[in-house]
Amino acid sequence: MRPILLSGHERALTQIKYNRDGDLLFSVSKDQQICVWFAHNGERLGTYHGHQGAIWTIDVDPTSTILASGSADNTIRLWEIKTGRLLKTWDFPTAVKRVEFSEDGSKLLGVTEKRMGHLGTIVVLDIKLDVDAEQSDEKAMTIVCEDSKATVAGWSYLSKYIIAGHEDGSISQFDGKNGDLLYNIPIHELNQPITDLQWSHDRTYFITASKDKTSKLITAKDLEVLKTYPADTPLNSATITRKKDYVILGGGQAAMDVTTTSARQGKFEARFYHKIFESEIGRVRGHFGPLNTVAADPTGKSYASGGEDGYVRIHHFDKGYYDFMYEVERERQNKLNQQQQQQTVSA
Amino acid sequence: EDAERISSADVAVVEARRRLLEEWFAWRESIVQEVAEEREIYGLPADPAAELIKAKTSELSTDGEEQVIE
Repeated sequence: MRPILLSGHERALTQIKYNRDGDLLFSVSKDQQICVWFAHNGERLGTYHGHQGAIWTIDVDPTSTILASGSADNTIRLWEIKTGRLLKTWDFPTAVKRVEFSEDGSKLLGVTEKRMGHLGTIVVLDIKLDVDAEQSDEKAMTIVCEDSKATVAGWSYLSKYIIAGHEDGSISQFDGKNGDLLYNIPIHELNQPITDLQWSHDRTYFITASKDKTSKLITAKDLEVLKTYPADTPLNSATITRKKDYVILGGGQAAMDVTTTSARQGKFEARFYHKIFESEIGRVRGHFGPLNTVAADPTGKSYASGGEDGYVRIHHFDKGYYDFMYEVERERQNKLNQQQQQQTVSA
Repeated sequence: EDAERISSADVAVVEARRRLLEEWFAWRESIVQEVAEEREIYGLPADPAAELIKAKTSELSTDGEEQVIE
């Protein structure tokens, strides 16, 4: 698993994202740059210019036509992926910490920061997936987070729910149509912020990362905690792999929070866990600082990590990765193969 | 005796994993079916993104044909 090192950013990475085909990787950073890279060789395709502050978040629509970004310059912007053209800018009173398209790309949510005189909100914008269309200025919906600000949020399957992770460690489920709060459940340790929320491919379940040093797999429908992955360091990001039933966690203590040098050792690694068995199966080293963001290629070929050190690393999986199976997984695979053979024979 | 103890511990671990695997795939099967039914009720495509991409490519190819005609 030889990594490809992408050096194009000058400051800490904040979020990275593959497109649906897994051939492009988008990255944003505190250096106010958006970069797009070819995932297979790490060649930089281009950059998107315009933001006037750190960029916190990015998302690609399902057809890889439009890119959305959210920034400390209090704007959400839409970009034409192919040309780099700025299509639309929405202004907000505070920084935008998270953006995410719904499964059909018709809606975009944005999480806005809490600041003196402004509560944190989740806004919903109607999107036309057409680079020549006029995008609406109006917000389709605004959810105000009265208790604890949202740090991350996303759309469930069918855009039925908006799920948000909060600063106080809780998770909320909102009605995706009218924004009503349906549930709020403490999931992570009290007042340990949720730092990431990423979906399974069908958006029926998601994974969280938290400063409480754990990551959890949760159902969108009932907010039931299915799995817990314990780590030994505060987590910034977590992602679910395709093809193999793994999850990848990234984190690490920021240098300014580290009191002893020994505590620094071996924390800047991507950690692989078995999604179903919850056991840790391996670590990948490389970054010189905490991993701020990890992403899994939707086609299962690679994963990438973005660090506080300003680098993005893409790792393509090798044969050993795909071949590795637990005894009971192989048993199940064999059983399925046998059933399939019998079916072909009887057919 | 030690070997026996180890192997019985192994058996317990394997049994537990087998149970976890069964539970997981049983849940997956039920939720996948439930969501598929919901999509049908709302008249939504099984894979909305795939549908969008199909629409986009067909639109692009018609554009191409028009250019040829011109």
